[in-house]
Amino acid sequence: MTYKKRKSSIDPVIIVTLGVVFVSIAIALFVFQPNLTSINFASGSGVMSQLIVAFITGITTGGLSCLAVQGGLLASSLAHQFEQDYLEQAVKNKRKKQSSASRSNSAFPIFLFLVAKIIAYTLLGALLGWLGSFLTLSPMTRAMLMIAIGIFMVGSALRMFNVHPIFRYFSIEPPKFITRYIRRTAKGTDTFTPLFLGALTVFIPCGITQAMMATALGTGSIAMGAALMLAFTLGTSPVFFIVAYLTTELGSRLEKFFMRFVAIVVLILGFVTLDGGLNVLGFPLSFQNLTRNLIPSENISSSQANSPQVIADGELVLNVNNGGYFPRTLKAPAGKDFTLNLVTDKTYSCARDFVIPALDYYELLPDTGIVKVTIPAQAKGSRLFFTCSMGMYTGQIVFE
Amino acid sequence: MIKKTFKIPDMTCTNCAMKLESLEDTLEGVKKINASYHRFEMVVEYDESKLTDEQIITAVKRKGYQAVAA
Repeated sequence: MTYKKRKSSIDPVIIVTLGVVFVSIAIALFVFQPNLTSINFASGSGVMSQLIVAFITGITTGGLSCLAVQGGLLASSLAHQFEQDYLEQAVKNKRKKQSSASRSNSAFPIFLFLVAKIIAYTLLGALLGWLGSFLTLSPMTRAMLMIAIGIFMVGSALRMFNVHPIFRYFSIEPPKFITRYIRRTAKGTDTFTPLFLGALTVFIPCGITQAMMATALGTGSIAMGAALMLAFTLGTSPVFFIVAYLTTELGSRLEKFFMRFVAIVVLILGFVTLDGGLNVLGFPLSFQNLTRNLIPSENISSSQANSPQVIADGELVLNVNNGGYFPRTLKAPAGKDFTLNLVTDKTYSCARDFVIPALDYYELLPDTGIVKVTIPAQAKGSRLFFTCSMGMYTGQIVFE
Repeated sequence: MIKKTFKIPDMTCTNCAMKLESLEDTLEGVKKINASYHRFEMVVEYDESKLTDEQIITAVKRKGYQAVAA
């Protein structure tokens, strides 16, 4: 039995420095995430807010989720690449100490790899946006997609926790010819190799990437699909520096610890996605619908909170803000039709995508204006749930 | 050449399967390895005159996994 002895030559100074810089940015963005709404709205653009959300999803959780699916393989492949560079360099500089030039060689393949990955996913986003222009994802279809993605993410997290062997099926095994091809390509030592490997990652997307791909599909626009995937992949890139570092420098113990952290994040995100899907379906037992009355309304100005909800006989007002719907619970008379006035005022968040699942009502509201909806008579004691199309913001009308 | 199946009960992800398949590149005498995370196993096609079961099990152990000949 013969082994080729392998020694990583990744320069820890470069990788750790880059890693620390990117992690600092990630932590800063994560810490300020609760204030994201104000950033979005200051920008004055719904498109911009979607891109910022995609970027932050990438930098905080997307990168971690991708790590679980593709990180190890790619880091190993890159390590192999670095090793080859190192060996070649060692032969060339037999009598010299390792020069600074060889150090820059260590970081360069990672850079090329990430550039190729970003370009490949941007093109994929454009393709999905183009395909999406031929499809219309109804709120119900989107709800089913979100529920499926949520279940997949929860299953993946339970698999990572090693809860039961059955959860191993919550992973997609890439076709052998692709993994074999990636592995063999990784043996190359030219500039083309990391570029090619980066592009190949489109064949092994993680759960969150798949969710983002679904969102890109839903945009129905080539430019928006490309921009969304670009923002997301840019966000995931810093984590790949850390992956390369963890896999090659810190060993499997810390990697396992890191994976536990990833599992927790994926589990939480899975439940959030699942709950969003249930909200869009109008399911009364979703977490948000169950807990609505337990949590007081927030992010609501006193003028809005005190504004009368009835503006005229048989008409009610619902304020659609960047932070959701106010009031979250509307009270309406049972047994007769009434008009619901949906009022927006510089609203750019997804709250504009207003859905009443039980009535099969869906409307993209103007960023500023009033849209009137006729609500048919409902029985006393019944509830009508409304939500945004992503299931993030919800509310209800109680008939009494 | 013979083909033999090894159970690998401690695989944790599809990446483990890929790591095990990389033994194709380092283990002399191996023609092909097909590892599956879903089945917790790897099928090794190798030259028995150059390699033994024990050597394969040791190589797998070096990758961080336990292998049992099925």
